[in-house]
Amino acid sequence: MANRFQKSVPLMMILPGLALALAIIGYPIFDLAWTSMQDVSRFGKLTGFNGGENYHEVFADPLFWESLWRTGIWTFAVVGGTLAISMPVAMILNDDFHGRGLARVIIMLPWAISLTMTAVVWRWALNGRAGLLNATLMNAGIIDQPVEWLATASTAFVVEILVGILVSIPFTTTILLGGLSSMPQDAYEAAVVDGASGWDQFRHITLPLMKPFINIAIVLNVIYVFNSLPIIWVMTEGGPANGTDILVTYLYKLAFRFGQLGKAAAISLVMFFVLLAFTMLYVALVSRNDRDDAAPEEEIKA
Amino acid sequence: MSSVTIRGVKKKYGAMDVLHGIDLQIRDREFVVLVGPSGCGKSTLLRMIAGLETISGGDILIGNRVVNDVPAKARDIAMVFQNYALYPHMSVYENMSFSLRLKRMAKDMIDRKVREAAEILNLSKFLERSPRQLSGGQRQRVAMGRALVRDAQVFLFDEPLSNLDAKLRVVMRTEIKALHQRLQTTSVYVTHDQIEAMTMADRIVVMNAGKIEQIGTPLELYDTPANLFVADFIGSPSMNFLRGKLEQGAVVLPDGSRLAASGQGAAGQAVVFGIRPEHLALATDGTGLAAEVEVVEPTGANIQVYARVAGMPLCAVFTERHDFRPGQTIHLIWPEGKAHLFDDATGHRLQGGAN
Amino acid sequence: MTGKLKRSLIYWAILSPLMVVILFPFGVMFVTAVRPRAELFTYPPTWGFSEFRWENFSEMWVKTNFGGALLNSLYVSVAATAVALLLSIPAAYAMSRYRFAGKGAYRTFLLMTQMMSPIVLVLGLFRLMMSLGLVNDLNSLVLTYAAFNMAFTIWMLQSYFNSIPRDLEEAAWMDGASHLTSLVRIFLPLAVPAMVVTAIFTFINSWNEFVLALTMMRSSEDFTLPVQIYAQVAGRYQVEWHHVMAATVLATVPVAIVFSWLQRYLIRGMALGAVK
Repeated sequence: MANRFQKSVPLMMILPGLALALAIIGYPIFDLAWTSMQDVSRFGKLTGFNGGENYHEVFADPLFWESLWRTGIWTFAVVGGTLAISMPVAMILNDDFHGRGLARVIIMLPWAISLTMTAVVWRWALNGRAGLLNATLMNAGIIDQPVEWLATASTAFVVEILVGILVSIPFTTTILLGGLSSMPQDAYEAAVVDGASGWDQFRHITLPLMKPFINIAIVLNVIYVFNSLPIIWVMTEGGPANGTDILVTYLYKLAFRFGQLGKAAAISLVMFFVLLAFTMLYVALVSRNDRDDAAPEEEIKA
Repeated sequence: MSSVTIRGVKKKYGAMDVLHGIDLQIRDREFVVLVGPSGCGKSTLLRMIAGLETISGGDILIGNRVVNDVPAKARDIAMVFQNYALYPHMSVYENMSFSLRLKRMAKDMIDRKVREAAEILNLSKFLERSPRQLSGGQRQRVAMGRALVRDAQVFLFDEPLSNLDAKLRVVMRTEIKALHQRLQTTSVYVTHDQIEAMTMADRIVVMNAGKIEQIGTPLELYDTPANLFVADFIGSPSMNFLRGKLEQGAVVLPDGSRLAASGQGAAGQAVVFGIRPEHLALATDGTGLAAEVEVVEPTGANIQVYARVAGMPLCAVFTERHDFRPGQTIHLIWPEGKAHLFDDATGHRLQGGAN
Repeated sequence: MTGKLKRSLIYWAILSPLMVVILFPFGVMFVTAVRPRAELFTYPPTWGFSEFRWENFSEMWVKTNFGGALLNSLYVSVAATAVALLLSIPAAYAMSRYRFAGKGAYRTFLLMTQMMSPIVLVLGLFRLMMSLGLVNDLNSLVLTYAAFNMAFTIWMLQSYFNSIPRDLEEAAWMDGASHLTSLVRIFLPLAVPAMVVTAIFTFINSWNEFVLALTMMRSSEDFTLPVQIYAQVAGRYQVEWHHVMAATVLATVPVAIVFSWLQRYLIRGMALGAVK
């Protein structure tokens, strides 16, 4: 057969998509790397090589370090909180009970809605004068004065973390459900016969078998949350007084508010490398799972 | 209908050799079965005849035409797949007529051919159903029907019965054989089941590790297996093998028992003495080979006795009923000419055999 | 049966606090969207209101240029989905059916692009679109959304394609079909459901995107819905919250309904291999 042509068929099928991805995702990385080592005017003109000066500026900037620190807290708190809630929720949704279909739909609902919209609604719900959260809490007698939730950085940040957890639950639950539904039923039956209690089953069967899925849920969530702009941007724009800035909001302000493009490019690149590290971790996790899956397949073919 | 010639055909996947030079002549109208353990290359060979795998070396001819570079669609071959490969979005009728519609055959012609094939296969009632509404056996028939309407040069079968339950498999086996007797289309059939091979084939090709071990009619393979592999593979339960040394017209077992044998071989040569379980009989006079009974398995039609001879396992099948107990010693004899002798080092049959 | 009933009650009791928090914003949305403007800032704040004012929606439609933003969002989401699918289908087919040199590297590349977030690249993307003259052009969003969604669509499609047995196509070849015929008459009809599901998720992703739209679209007539609604809130001295909430209801409820109907496919797709 026309072997050379045959071999090029799959490559031709991949090429158009690959070209688009390289242009839209690949090129900007190089442009950022290049820009980050230049003096840049407010209007984006590169005015000359300045070595590592942009990086110097970034690392000398206390706001950068504060944002970095807050990014760490934000990521850790949102991912940790999400996982702590999603695991039991996924286990419940994996079990058979009346109204499970409805429960799944409700739990997945926040996923359907853009983070921007969610944040807009919460911004209104948390309004210090007329917000309906205050209305609800006052009706319930928990508070007797309206609270200005978003007026101080510390409460605003906590509220934003909670909203972050809320919107991350559907995706995480979905991954964990995918894992739970692939759990071998006979392992549980064997465990029951061996006299394992419900807790024993969870500890010795569910948890070890779920580990790859939990790992992937953690890494993916870390990547998503680390990069998430809309919640904080819409609710407080990093304010008041930069008190809720994380790296992405700080970066966005530098680039599109203050026109400090060189510095913004430098931060972008720093973030890119952090992201790259997490991505490598993810790739390693996924390909390890792939290998585990692939082994029996090969045997069947042979 | 057409012959198929396979000359020095090789298959490599990267550095791995899957087939090491296969030579095989399949005659016109013949039903040939490729049999062997999984991974022996039989399916690969079939798929190469079909044109679904490229050929790394050698030639495949259908009739007198070399088809190495002819794509599958132009080979005029029909194939029945292991999982049937019925098009799930088409009715039975559409499945069976697909190839004819591709050929732009006239509508009434297609209709006649499909109904004819459906009649033969007992599918007339199901033509409007979709494949998922059919039972396993019916799906199997549709897959055959799809091949049948084609009047193809060659039929290929890739383990077509392996997804059916044991009872249905026996029924379909007979149906396929009857169909072949009626249509006389050259057929190549792949299976790992030696009973299927024995019952269906005009000739059997036994394959192992990418090589042909032996080609012959079912009875040739049963009566004169060319080597230990074929001797072991054909027949159920398998042939018994007793290892010993050749000495003056006899095989001497490690415990000193002597089995009369007239094979050609040097004195002292390590040999394997082979005897099929169904050829063993009970000696009434206390002579013959002594064996210690370990397990007795009645199947109803016969009893299978697993015993030990000079430390080696041995199985015997008796049609008469015996009341053996474990630990009991029995004495076994066999008719002249039913024993086999193989070279232990090469596994090859030693001419002259044993008795 | 009573065991299941008891279990159901316990489960619903455990899940109810979470559900209340999830449904709370929807309640806020509806209640605000239909109340008269004068009752927005009553003190003390309350859920109650005097009348359903459906006119809020029509007022909002005119005042916020909802229709224009809706059209922009529709155009961008439909076009991005079309581009992403058009490029992903052959790539997913190649990944599912062929062995070829560089497949592993390509797989890794896909994973990396899936992880790359627009926000990290936003400055570089802006400079790229600037040099292409595509700032303030909705097509810049079409291209970027298509590129950022492609990893997901390829994964999703590939995992479904893998579940379509290869021997169906081989059987078609044996029946005399060319590669193209077997693709068109056997493979594609079977792949339609997968393509529809993938398309809808890509559409929703594009529909909801914020950061790139906020950055690339500088003039208000080019805004997509999320940006348009954000613009009603951000940097304004007086926010017409009843209009904002009405707009949010219209922008989210249809999408939420479609998504709820399709979420089980997402779970299945993930179980099939998008995440595994």
